[in-house]
Amino acid sequence: MAAVLVAQTPTGDVLIKNGTVLTVTNGTLENTDILVRDGKIRRIGKNLRTPNGVMEVDATGKFVMPGIIDAHSHIAGSAINEGTSQVTAEVSMEDVVDPLDVSIYRALAGGVTSIHLMHGSANVIGGQNETMKLRFGTTDPDDLRFQGAPRTIKFALGENPTRGGRSRGIQPQSRMGVENMLRNAFTQAVEYREEWAAYNANKDPRKVAPEYDLRMQTLVDIMNGDVLVHCHSYRADEIYMLLKVFSDFNIPKITFQHANEAYKVAPELAAFGASASVFADWWAYKLEVYYSTAYNAAILTENGVLTSINSDSGELIRHLFHEAAKTQKYGELTDDQALALITLNPAKQLGIDDRVGSLEEGKDADIAIFDKHPLSVYAIPQMTFVDGVKYFDIENDGDDQRIYINPESSISEMTLYERHNDHRCMEGAFLDMEEYFSIFKK
Amino acid sequence: MKRLKKLRLQLAVLFMLSMGHVMTFAQSDPTGDSPVTGTFALTNATVITSPGSMLTEATVVVRNGLILNVGQNVNIPANAEVIDATGLYVYPAFIDGMSNTGAERPENPERPRDLFTPDPPNEYAGITPERSVVAQLDASNSSIASMRKTGFAISHTVPYGRMLPGSGSLILLKDADHADEMIMARDVALYAQWVGAPGAYPGNILGMMAKWRNLYRNAELNKQHADMYAENPSGLARPTSSRVSQAFYPVLTKEKPVMFDVSGMLDVRRAMRLQNDLGFTLMVAGVTQAFELVDEFKATGVPVFLSLDLPDEPKEIKSDDKSDEVAALEARRMEFYKKHVGQAGLLAQEGIQFGFSSKGASGGKIMANIRTMIENGLSEDIALAALTTNPAQMLGIDQVTGTVESGKLANLLVSTAPVFEKDAQIKMMFVDGDKYEYDTKDKKEASKATASTGDATGPYAAVLGSWTYTFRTPQGEQTGKMIIKNGAAGLEGVFTSDDGSPDTDMNDVNFRDNELTFNLELDAGGQSILLVVQGTVSGTSYDAQATVEAFNVTLEISATKDEK
Repeated sequence: MAAVLVAQTPTGDVLIKNGTVLTVTNGTLENTDILVRDGKIRRIGKNLRTPNGVMEVDATGKFVMPGIIDAHSHIAGSAINEGTSQVTAEVSMEDVVDPLDVSIYRALAGGVTSIHLMHGSANVIGGQNETMKLRFGTTDPDDLRFQGAPRTIKFALGENPTRGGRSRGIQPQSRMGVENMLRNAFTQAVEYREEWAAYNANKDPRKVAPEYDLRMQTLVDIMNGDVLVHCHSYRADEIYMLLKVFSDFNIPKITFQHANEAYKVAPELAAFGASASVFADWWAYKLEVYYSTAYNAAILTENGVLTSINSDSGELIRHLFHEAAKTQKYGELTDDQALALITLNPAKQLGIDDRVGSLEEGKDADIAIFDKHPLSVYAIPQMTFVDGVKYFDIENDGDDQRIYINPESSISEMTLYERHNDHRCMEGAFLDMEEYFSIFKK
Repeated sequence: MKRLKKLRLQLAVLFMLSMGHVMTFAQSDPTGDSPVTGTFALTNATVITSPGSMLTEATVVVRNGLILNVGQNVNIPANAEVIDATGLYVYPAFIDGMSNTGAERPENPERPRDLFTPDPPNEYAGITPERSVVAQLDASNSSIASMRKTGFAISHTVPYGRMLPGSGSLILLKDADHADEMIMARDVALYAQWVGAPGAYPGNILGMMAKWRNLYRNAELNKQHADMYAENPSGLARPTSSRVSQAFYPVLTKEKPVMFDVSGMLDVRRAMRLQNDLGFTLMVAGVTQAFELVDEFKATGVPVFLSLDLPDEPKEIKSDDKSDEVAALEARRMEFYKKHVGQAGLLAQEGIQFGFSSKGASGGKIMANIRTMIENGLSEDIALAALTTNPAQMLGIDQVTGTVESGKLANLLVSTAPVFEKDAQIKMMFVDGDKYEYDTKDKKEASKATASTGDATGPYAAVLGSWTYTFRTPQGEQTGKMIIKNGAAGLEGVFTSDDGSPDTDMNDVNFRDNELTFNLELDAGGQSILLVVQGTVSGTSYDAQATVEAFNVTLEISATKDEK
């Protein structure tokens, strides 16, 4: 049994010749080759010899960059929210990875090699997320795991979790309730930790174990620093509130997701060591996101806050390089700063920067090749590699890339663009009779 | 001395057994329906004793529920009812790996006032592993006769419910006064499915996976505590008596397997993931995408029951000006249809043993679906094995059933032609030694009967035909036709919609005492939603309630029968 589940993911060998290499950490290298052996970047240099049997890719006139990393995604999940109660720390997106989702291929076609598949934002403490590599083509969810990536979890503040509380007449109905809920949950977890610590220290052979609670255990793991928190948030006051809560419970690491008002508390975020993963210029879709600016990412970056730009969308994910480029118009970030927003910085926020996020010898060969500079509005992705294996090639881009087709689906269903896949943050949070009966009214 | 004791014991058992039969026949019988004898001889038959082995001009003698003898020169007991089986084919009757046959769907648990809680009541959350399907069995449930008529004599019947409804039992599909008479083995496997609680935790696969881990870990801890207490309670806190935890104890010790009701490849992999994390003994049933799971099945040896439901063959557009794009999409869809219908053959070719599950399959389509699998690469011998010897072995009853052999249960299928032939009809079934006869028609009549919507007389006359329905939904009224006809194994039907939505098969169509019930399985964005319809027919009108399980709501459907 164990043999099946230890995924042997494919790795490749390739020599990418004579490209303009955007390393992100070591500047731009002209007319440079990258040798990939067994899925890792073996050498970066000029005029490298092609070893026997290694595929050559001519990148003359092309731009080679680290594969893009999306720190906030909801593609490739069979379910997004277990929004049936306000604290569901025990659930994990790793259980619901859907390798059949063709959005994975679409993301690869935008140069994306890794995503952070997040639980939704229906509840205050949602589920654990899953960091994945986009090895499209398999039907086994295990093949998409980013082996060795740290565990992460989703929290949510503001309108989304309070909407559920208000509609049901229970806590939390306001931002005060959200804070109270968080403090209660961690206080309970402290007690749980003590109960088990006492049990484990007990030398009596006839000791009786306390009740096991995967939910509390996960909160304990957060306090122990074993699980990185990524928190859905918008307003400066709620961001600052969570910093205080985390200080009180000694939780060291936090990434604020969306964080449209983070620019207002940028020095405070920097002082805490908190990071932010934001949209380039997307706001005003609900009340709490009106006070926003396209300068958010640049202000955060200039204030020393580790910042990334994410998609949260099955559509935006295909042009995150455009999103990063917007910070040059709004904030005049350098090329390396702008590229880091979609490569090295999200890698750091996910705790995988020792493996991916820049082009360096020894790192994983997760690489995207563009015909123009990726921060140019004219850039078109050409090829995408994960672990040295080519998963996207514009020269070999079929019309129908799906890996499973329901034989009972109609042709019109196949050709219609699935709009609902764009934004799934609140999917499943409310059981919607209208949505259900719309199946009768196609 | 010891030997004598053993002999006395055997005699006592024999006496009790014979008394049982004497008593059965001695009961007063005002209807005159009781069989005159429990001994039958099927003579001059072609007997397929087990997959791949056949006797011709053979006799099968059945006595008191068991097969007494099979062969070409066997004595026929004097009290036997001799049945001339010239031209008939005798098979071991089929075994269904998983179904709800014989079980009554209980009322949905009442919706608690506050559902938005981390731990809703187990009853509502669907966490009732301590229950047994035996409590849901109903000897008069029409599915028993209907599945028997399709060729099945034994069903592994699982309870209705949500994520952990209870344990399944092996039942004999026979006419019985009381459900106890049907039970062959109680609580053989803990039944689990991926069905979340409507609007409550665990609501979907995310919560169910976590809940499984939590329940299992606590069962382990509770069992440690209980074992320690049983050994010496002095000075030890009294263990709490958690029925849920206790239901897991035989699973922890691997005395009882977990049968996971799965359909697609992801369902199966998630069950395997839990198995890998927790260590229980796993069986999977209802599998619909085995073509992606060959390596996993080989590596794990997990017993597999394929679904007897198959997708309908895609209808391609017949038009000369069809675009290349549409043609390509149709071709790819057909490629996946072929994978579905070819998967049984594929597993056989890869040497993976499997059985079948009828759950979710429409009774009338089962034989046709098996024929489709045979047309797409499954050999007839392996098809028969998957319906007889394989499930017997996988369910641990191969010593008593699965083949036509002396000493085994008299569970026989008698058909007019080799059973997988298109024109084959079941002439007779023996279940536990009881004989059931069916009217068969010659080929011409048979094809005529399936073509028409049914007779003007007969038990189902009141519902056969076309009805115009109105379905009152929160989005307004929906209208369409409800067409009910006689199928090979009872009633079947389709639900059409006036707004051009695709037709939906009516499943489990039953009509009894003017009550018409059926289920509709609808696809809502990839999630299958079950609609249970129950109502009363009076004359040409039908008034029914449709329960949408997923939302715990009831809606009204009314229908009027169309004039001919």
